[in-house]
Amino acid sequence: MTTAAQEPSGTAPPVPGHIPTDKAWDELSTAEKMEQVWADPPGVLGWFMALQNDRIGARIMATAFFFFILGGINALLMRVQLASPENTFLTAQRYNELFTMHGSTMMYLFAVPMMEGFAILLMPLILGNREMPFPRLGVFSWFTFLLGGLLFYSSFIAGAVPDTGWFAYVPLSGLEFSPDIALDYWLLALGVAEVAAIAAGVEIILAILRMRAPGMSLSRLPVYAWAMLVMAVSILFAFTPLIVSSLLLELDRRLGTQFFNPDAGGSPLLWQHLFWIFGHPEVYIQFIPAAGIISMVVPVFSRRSLAGYTWVVIALVSTGFLSFGLWVHHMFTVGLPQISMAFFAAASMIIGIPAGIQVIAWITTIFTGRPVFKTAFLFVIGFLVTFVLGGITGIMVGAVPFDWQVHDSYFVVAHFHYVLIGGVTFPVFAGIYYWTPKFTGRLLDERLGKLHFWLFFIGFNVAFFPMHISGLLGMVRRVYTYPADLGVGALNLTSTIGAFTIALGVAVFIYNFLYSRRRGEPAGNNPWNGDTLEWAVGSPAPNYGFAHLPIVRSRHPLWEQETIDEEDDVLGDTTNTERMLQALSEWPLRWRAALITGAIDGKPVEVFRVAGPSIWPAVAGIALVTIFGSEVFALHWLTIVGIVVFVAALIGWHWPDKIPFTEKERAFEEEFNIPVRPNGSVTIGRWGMALAILLLGIALASFLFAYFYIRLENPIWPPDNIPVPDLLLPAIATALLLLAGFVMGWAVNNVRNGNIPRLRLGLLLVFLLGAAALAVIVWEYTQLPFTWELNAYASLFYALGGYMMLLLVVALGMNLFVQVWAWRGHYTELDNAAVHNSAWFVYAVAVFWVITFGILYLAPRLT
Amino acid sequence: MRYLPLTHQSPLTRLRRGQLAILSLLLPLLAGCAGNASSILGPSGPAAARINTLWWLMFAVGTVVYLVVMGYLLVGLFRRRGNEFDAAQSDEGTGVVVWGGAVIPAIILVGIFGATVFTMRALDEPAAAGELIIEVEGRQWWWDVRYPGFGFRTANEIHIPVGRPVAVKLLSQDVIHSFWVPQLHGKLDMVPGKVTEFWLQADEPGSYLGECAEFCGVQHAKMQFWVIAQEEDDFLQWVAQQQQPAPQPAAELVQQGQQVFLDSACVDCHAVEGTNATGNLGPDLTHLASRRTLAAGTIPNNRGNLAGWIVDPQSIKPGAKMPPAELTGAQLQALLAYLETLE
Repeated sequence: MTTAAQEPSGTAPPVPGHIPTDKAWDELSTAEKMEQVWADPPGVLGWFMALQNDRIGARIMATAFFFFILGGINALLMRVQLASPENTFLTAQRYNELFTMHGSTMMYLFAVPMMEGFAILLMPLILGNREMPFPRLGVFSWFTFLLGGLLFYSSFIAGAVPDTGWFAYVPLSGLEFSPDIALDYWLLALGVAEVAAIAAGVEIILAILRMRAPGMSLSRLPVYAWAMLVMAVSILFAFTPLIVSSLLLELDRRLGTQFFNPDAGGSPLLWQHLFWIFGHPEVYIQFIPAAGIISMVVPVFSRRSLAGYTWVVIALVSTGFLSFGLWVHHMFTVGLPQISMAFFAAASMIIGIPAGIQVIAWITTIFTGRPVFKTAFLFVIGFLVTFVLGGITGIMVGAVPFDWQVHDSYFVVAHFHYVLIGGVTFPVFAGIYYWTPKFTGRLLDERLGKLHFWLFFIGFNVAFFPMHISGLLGMVRRVYTYPADLGVGALNLTSTIGAFTIALGVAVFIYNFLYSRRRGEPAGNNPWNGDTLEWAVGSPAPNYGFAHLPIVRSRHPLWEQETIDEEDDVLGDTTNTERMLQALSEWPLRWRAALITGAIDGKPVEVFRVAGPSIWPAVAGIALVTIFGSEVFALHWLTIVGIVVFVAALIGWHWPDKIPFTEKERAFEEEFNIPVRPNGSVTIGRWGMALAILLLGIALASFLFAYFYIRLENPIWPPDNIPVPDLLLPAIATALLLLAGFVMGWAVNNVRNGNIPRLRLGLLLVFLLGAAALAVIVWEYTQLPFTWELNAYASLFYALGGYMMLLLVVALGMNLFVQVWAWRGHYTELDNAAVHNSAWFVYAVAVFWVITFGILYLAPRLT
Repeated sequence: MRYLPLTHQSPLTRLRRGQLAILSLLLPLLAGCAGNASSILGPSGPAAARINTLWWLMFAVGTVVYLVVMGYLLVGLFRRRGNEFDAAQSDEGTGVVVWGGAVIPAIILVGIFGATVFTMRALDEPAAAGELIIEVEGRQWWWDVRYPGFGFRTANEIHIPVGRPVAVKLLSQDVIHSFWVPQLHGKLDMVPGKVTEFWLQADEPGSYLGECAEFCGVQHAKMQFWVIAQEEDDFLQWVAQQQQPAPQPAAELVQQGQQVFLDSACVDCHAVEGTNATGNLGPDLTHLASRRTLAAGTIPNNRGNLAGWIVDPQSIKPGAKMPPAELTGAQLQALLAYLETLE
């Protein structure tokens, strides 16, 4: 790394991701150097290290599409079975496995990853920047997703295929009624795939908030970016409770906890609440980005800007919020009080308003524009025709008494396929036809595209419209067969024919994609006359996205920015910014520089180095899936190996590779008055840590939801004559942790002032205090007069305590990592982001412990 | 309709004329399949009728909304446009978005919500329902039916008197099931650790199909039952009959059959009042022969089906908890003769 300081000297490019070339470094042009710096490394190992956002985004999308095909095959087999009454093509068991795999695949392994792949692929170009903020996290996410999904499907090889539906209601999914490992596959393989979704979500949030082109204030943010932002935030809030609930169920199955056992104070309905707190937003996590795609495609093919931009954005954001207040409408038939059902019915109907705003905005745009009937636009029309119908039936099922009738009938199957295929898959295809040329450099064939559309559209309606009627005639869901007397044979045969027509359409699409990738018409930079920044760069887009970052002065930069005017109402006088961007397009050429901008106004605030290729994110992903996979088979030794490798990979991943801060960097800082961070961004690191803490807080909130739900189900608390827990030991632990927090703050202040010896002392004290607190808490638990198997209260007591112990271990590990680098003299008054991050974590753990202490130890004394 | 012995009306006859007019839009698809015993659109009791009214209201409103929106889209796609159009500068349309997308939908939704709450209140359990309480316990994969007021137990067949509400208490001890008789009311779940309660009322005598609506394991598909609504007198007669213990066998073959039954593993799961068989894991057989179906409402109760069910239940309902009985031909004949006396 030292050669980087004396640029230009030496011949080997100083960054790991180089393309081999005959030319010496000095002889390369600026563009070639830039290409070299941003390229993924070659070779097999390079394949594991590759972290370019377009590479990773495309891999995630291809993987999601692969699972889409698998989920589709499941569906076709089911449709053959249902084509006639009392059919025996599949056994009951096989059918139940297939509908479980179909639903789980489409919900967990197709729709969400597909949308995240889209975002990772497109976001830096749409935002006018060079990369995602955490490229390594993207690599980790993809490996985890791919291997988690394959682990899930390996249940077919093991002969233990999950068979309790994508919702896995307890007690059916509990050990008593599902004794083999099928449900462990479902919980653990999907659990690890959900980690992948969260990881990708974190980096999407940061990219949109902090890595835009100068001048792209929130009011100029493309609707697509708004949608992806709402999606990614929702993923954090929805998937975390799901992981927690999966964990609780797995503990019930494996360790004998009693969270869901009504005979020991638990509740099967707790599972339903936790599941639908995830499960309902999940639907909007798929629909919101799809709506974002539509809001990009509609204006371009209508040749006018989107009508009611502000209203559409408000609609997207409010949909995200509202989607967390609707979950109970999946539970209208469990026997809840009328008043709460009326409340959730109202909430379910209110969410029709943001959907209505968007639909009318799209159609108004079309109405007042001049439509161009390309394939992408046909899919938009298909989307509108089907989604509006699904939305109307959605309002109907929100009407509680009608839901009592059609809940779990084929009417609901029809409804949500209209919403999910109509509202998500159609937009996905629209997006693929729209954006593929940007990455392959070639247009998809229009004739094949139109054939694909018509087969898909007609097949879809033939398959799913009759299901409304099957449901109204009393056909229930999740049945492997039905009696002829029900009178739904002809309807089902029709649905089956439609399903195969859909499959034909998808086959045409696959052919079209493969064919057009090589022989399609060359696209040029902007084949559709698009308005957003991705169409400003070449097709295929270069590795670095924008060499010269654009200045954004409009919501539609490519339509409205012909005349460049030096005053901008967001940036003010742009002369200095222009010069800075010009300088940034020629320097630095030895590290991957990207720009951080203000979250609200899009003003440049920092130039920083994006992480380069590394083998460790892939290793971490593989290790994490190994941990979960070995637990399916209860191979605990392999789990431990996995944990060791995982921790080692995390350390390797974050191992500092320091670039000296040279005169060049200093000169740039001074000339343009903007910090240059060749060793990683404090801003990005802080935001990343804040999001990680948010995630852990959501997990804690999920545990607490479970705690209070069970609390309300049990009139006496603690139940079964368990004494109220003693205060002394936990109070000591609380004091130790609070003290650790204060000492940590002192240490941070010292490193800021450059007092490294005091930093070392502070870190050491924090470690000792934290370790002492951990020891006290562990000791306290060994003294408890009950085990987690006694009842749901005991299980919760151990779960919350265990979670806090885990967080403490992580905090101590982080502290050790920072401490080692502090003793090695790594940190200075300017360069101490890691110290800050570990400090935030210590504060968070202290706060979480205080909350836990109050709830476990103090609250029972109040009642 | 091969095993619907009681009067059966086509659901279509119960629709009002206005509803029929709307329905005619769907008739090409509904034709030939509306005449079943489980159609939501063919209500036979006040609760289902209320919900049916709500459905047709929402269907009418929804159809109008859909047609208007699609009309807007179609005109928007294909209308003629002048040459003076300047695409990129166009900024019109926000007013339409606010009015058409937010205000008008909000008004419609308030109306639908009002109708929802109104219907919910109308479906509150009538006080009179408490006069007859039926307990139904969902089991994998059949229904245990108890009449606590009359002190007997039956399975997969619920008799109710017409014209008055009946309270139904729903419970489960294994997994979650859901109790649904589409022509009488919506569905309600049976959740372990909880008792849920609602009510049924049939306005006319008839047989109404009931189904399990919550996925409950491998044979969820074949977990049905029948609600038989009878005139008060017929119902009381049925009750009186069900209260009787099983008759002591008279004929020799029947006596042999009873012995086969009592000596076999049948008694581990099944009960016959008046004998030593008191098993509780499977359906009560005291009045098996009076029931119309076997295997949880899925096959007609006749000699052939009964024999098949005893000898090889797994081929009729793979995964069912009932094991095959290993019987000689003579034993089987005797057993069938015995079971056929259990009226």
